[in-house]
Formats: sequence, structure tokens, C-alpha cells
Amino acid sequence: MMPTAQRRLLFLLLALLSVGSVFFAAAIGSVTLSWEQWWSALMDSGSAYGELVWRIRLPRAAAAWTVGALLSLSGCLMQVLLRNPLADPYILGVSGGASFAALFGMSIGVAAALLPALAWAGALLSILIVFGLARGEGPWSGTRLLLTGVVTASGWAALISLLLTLGPDGSLRGMLFWLIGDLSYARLPAWSLVMLLGIFAATLGMARSLNVLAMGETTASLLGEPTRKLLWVVYLLGSVLTAGAVSIAGNIGFVGLIVPHLMRLLVGSDHRILLPSATLFGGLFLVLSDTLARTVLAPRQLPVGVVTALLGVPLFLLLLNRARVKQ
Amino acid sequence: MSVLHCRSLDLRIAGIRVVNKLDLAIRPGEFWGLLGPNGVGKTTLLKCLAGLLEPATGEILLESRAILQLPRKLLARHIGMLQQHTVYVFDASVMQTALTGRHPYLGYWEREGPDDLAMASAALSAVDLEGFADRSVTGLSGGEARRLAFASLLVQDPEIMLLDEPTNHLDLRHQVQIMGMIRQRTQEGPCSALAALHDINLAARYCSHVIMLFGDGDWCAGPADDMLSESSLERLFRCPVERLESPSGPRFHPLGI
Repeated sequence: MMPTAQRRLLFLLLALLSVGSVFFAAAIGSVTLSWEQWWSALMDSGSAYGELVWRIRLPRAAAAWTVGALLSLSGCLMQVLLRNPLADPYILGVSGGASFAALFGMSIGVAAALLPALAWAGALLSILIVFGLARGEGPWSGTRLLLTGVVTASGWAALISLLLTLGPDGSLRGMLFWLIGDLSYARLPAWSLVMLLGIFAATLGMARSLNVLAMGETTASLLGEPTRKLLWVVYLLGSVLTAGAVSIAGNIGFVGLIVPHLMRLLVGSDHRILLPSATLFGGLFLVLSDTLARTVLAPRQLPVGVVTALLGVPLFLLLLNRARVKQ
Repeated sequence: MSVLHCRSLDLRIAGIRVVNKLDLAIRPGEFWGLLGPNGVGKTTLLKCLAGLLEPATGEILLESRAILQLPRKLLARHIGMLQQHTVYVFDASVMQTALTGRHPYLGYWEREGPDDLAMASAALSAVDLEGFADRSVTGLSGGEARRLAFASLLVQDPEIMLLDEPTNHLDLRHQVQIMGMIRQRTQEGPCSALAALHDINLAARYCSHVIMLFGDGDWCAGPADDMLSESSLERLFRCPVERLESPSGPRFHPLGI
């Protein structure tokens, strides 16, 4: 176990980097600000670049941080829930439902401002379908949940393909960006931060229960956990986190898979350390990715989902290799 | 000081009758051996006694309360079980795994204190795993993993220990070490144990009582000295058995079929 002092230092470092990255992201973009311009814009929203920083860049960076944190926390929960380090937030079809609903909205010309609400509705519908079908009597079966979720996700994927085929050409680009995951129009709704903090606190409180759950459902029961109830709670919390993230920014891939996994390699699998560090690092990672997405081909903007994968894959392979050498 | 009672317990799994009308009381001070051929339902019976499975009919009582009515957390402070296999999917340190035995005693948000750490260290030393605290569980040998699982059970410190083949994968020294520790707990504390075993001689040497499952729901139970005989073991395992006398008591030896 990591000593307390070292753990605190890690959390502090990640928290400082997170806050720093959001403000740093406000300085750069298609118009890069000098330090003085950046500072005066931060201090006075009425100054020359105040509008740009306070109305456009900071909200977008804050949204990126929140979405990254939501996805990473959700990924940690899904991996314990399915006892599979390859599980990600999208595996049980939540994002499929959200995407279908949002794309359907786009194809019939619903106002952009209503898309998050539609995505939420689709995600909740998908959660209810999976929950209803996988529940039933008898002992909990992780396999049944996994299969129900994966098949539901495939169903949504088929419907999404249908929409892409039939949808008007004009909306295809928007649909594609949604499916890759894009923060261009993302703003930070207050509920998302509240939800993140609430679920984070709740799951951190039950981190020891997650540790025993990771050792298997029988072990968890023998150590005093009402396992069935715990599993449903983890499923619902993880799904709601995913729904929140997807409704803000579409299907940003890879963050929810790679960040929990990467932090496991770095800090171990004690959830009392893993959950905070993955949440903080997930936010940081997405802010940096989005900053790159805005700047590498500026003034063109890439969907951030492309960057997360391009950054994440080599980083992950490198760490995996390092971990193997260490063993 | 709790007695575990089975009252006319009927237990089936996958169409097999495990026990029919089992009446049994496991009292403090008793170390029961659970004997029977492969596939007769020893693990199922242990799981049922641990509250993991519901019996077809009959009930299991801890003192006078049905175990399935008790909150799981409370039950875990009274009844602990060593499973037959332990598979680690996620990495964890040996110390972290030993400490999971304290889980039933800690609340939401609560961390392990110095006492819990001391208990875990003592348990690791007791199974010859001192110095392993920071090692990863995924790098342990089969026998070491087995001893770690037993150490976690010691840390859980239940009054009633259920053990599914506790000596699996263990070398000679650790077989007798662990059987000796279980017997010592039952003799010194107000504790009892029930262990599924395949080694009749370990049962003969360490167990005070024996329950035999013959298949098709037949069972018999009683003090080890009365239960272990050539004829009962031959009937149980459908294999001729020879009884040999040794200075430390009778030993049983299988003859060819």
C-alpha cells in the first residue's frame, strides 16, 4: 500500500495539474495569448480577450475536465462490475442509446440545445432496458449482464448505422463528430459537476467494498457485502456517469478504458487511491487532449475523440511494457 | 459462543441430492471433518452453511436465528469460509489481501487502523508469509496463495470457520501447520470449524468429529473415533481400505481396486 504522505502528494499534484491545465488551456488556441494578455483577460472579463477566455475557452476546458473525470470514474466502476480490466463505460450500451437519440434528433432537425436532453433520455432508456432484462430472479450473473449489455449496444449500433444511411447529408458531419466525441460546442452544465462530486463521494466511501468485489462476488458475500445490491448500485452509478458524459460531448472513446487501466499500473488497484487518481487524471488527460485537438491543425478543429486515441494508445503501450519489465 | 444448527436440511444441486434431512449441531470446541467422494456436494453444503445458497427445505440457525435473516455483515463476523479456489483478476498486495478479513468490522468510509494492521501482520507470520506483505498476489505460487487465503480468514477471525479443502496445494509442513492452527483455535477459543477434506489421515489426526456424505442424500455424523472405520470408509469411497495402528492413532491406507 502506498504510504499516506505519498498518496496525499499524488492527489495534490493531480489536483493542481488539473486546475492548472484548465487555465493553461484558456491561453492557447487559434489565437494564442501572451502571458500578459492571458493574465489581464483572467483578471478582467471586460478586457480585450476577456470574452474569449471567459465565454469560450474556460467553459470548454472545464467541460473537457468534467467529461474526462466522469468517463474515468465510470470506467473504474465498470471494470469492477464486470471483473474485467477491458471493460469501458460504453460496453453496456448506455452510450449507444444516447447516441441514437441524439442522432435521431439531428436527423429531424431538433435544435442543438435540446440534444443533451435527448441523449439523456436515450441513455436512461438503454439503462432501463438492460437493467430490466438482466435482472430477474436467481443468483446474480455477471455474464448475463455483460451479454445483455453488449447485445443492446449492438442493437443501438445497428440503428445508428441506419440513421447514418438514411439521414440528410447536411447533418452527417455533425453526426460523425458526435460519434467520435467532440467538445466544440460543449458547455459545462452545473448539474454535471454536482453529479460528478456526489457520485465520486459515494463511491469513494464504498471503495473498500469495491476492493472486495474485485476479488469476486462470492468473496465479497463472505466478507459481509450484500453483493447483489452492491452490483446494481455500481451498475446504476457507472451508467449515470456515462450518460452525463455522453450527453455533453458525445462518444469520446478510450478515456474511460485507458485512464483507469493506466492508473492501476501506476498506483495499484486499491480503489481508495485508484478512484481519486483516475478521476483527477481523466479530467487532466481530456483537457490536454482537447487543447491539442483545438491547436494542432488550427484554425481547423479536430474532434477530441481522435486525439484521445492517438495520445492514449502509445502512452498505454509504453506503460504496459514498462510494467512487464518491472515484474 | 455460537452454535451452528442444521434442522432437517434438504439440499439439492443440479439434480443431485446432497443431504436429506440433515440434523447437525456444530458446537464451540468441535473440529468437524467433512468427507465424501468427488461431486457428492461437499462444497455445496459448505456454501449453504455460509449463507451463500438457500436450502430446498429446512433451516440453518446461528444460535436461534436463521442465518439468511441475518445481515450479511453481521454474519461475516460469525461465519467465515475458505473457498476451494481463489482467482485474482486485479492485482493487489499480499498485505492488502490479508486486510480484507477486516472488511466486515469496518464501516462506510472507515479505514483499517493499527490494530487491524497488526492482526494482518500476525496472520501472515502465522502462515510463514512474513516478508511477503508488499508482494503482488498475482506472483504467488499455488501454495502461497492458499496460505494467504487462510491468513485472510484468520484476520476475519470468525467463531465458525468453514474450510473447503484447506490443505490443497500445500506441502507437508504447511498441511500440518494449518490443520494444527485450526485445531488450536477450536480448543482454545470459543470456536468451531468444519473442513472438507480428502486426506482421511489428516481427518483422523486432527478432527474431533466427522460427517460423511454418501451421495443420494445419505449422511452420517458423529465423533471421529466412532465414525472412522474400515467398513465406513470402504462404503464411503467404494475403495478397499486397510487400518494400520500408529503410535499417534489409527491410519487408513487405500488398497488397490
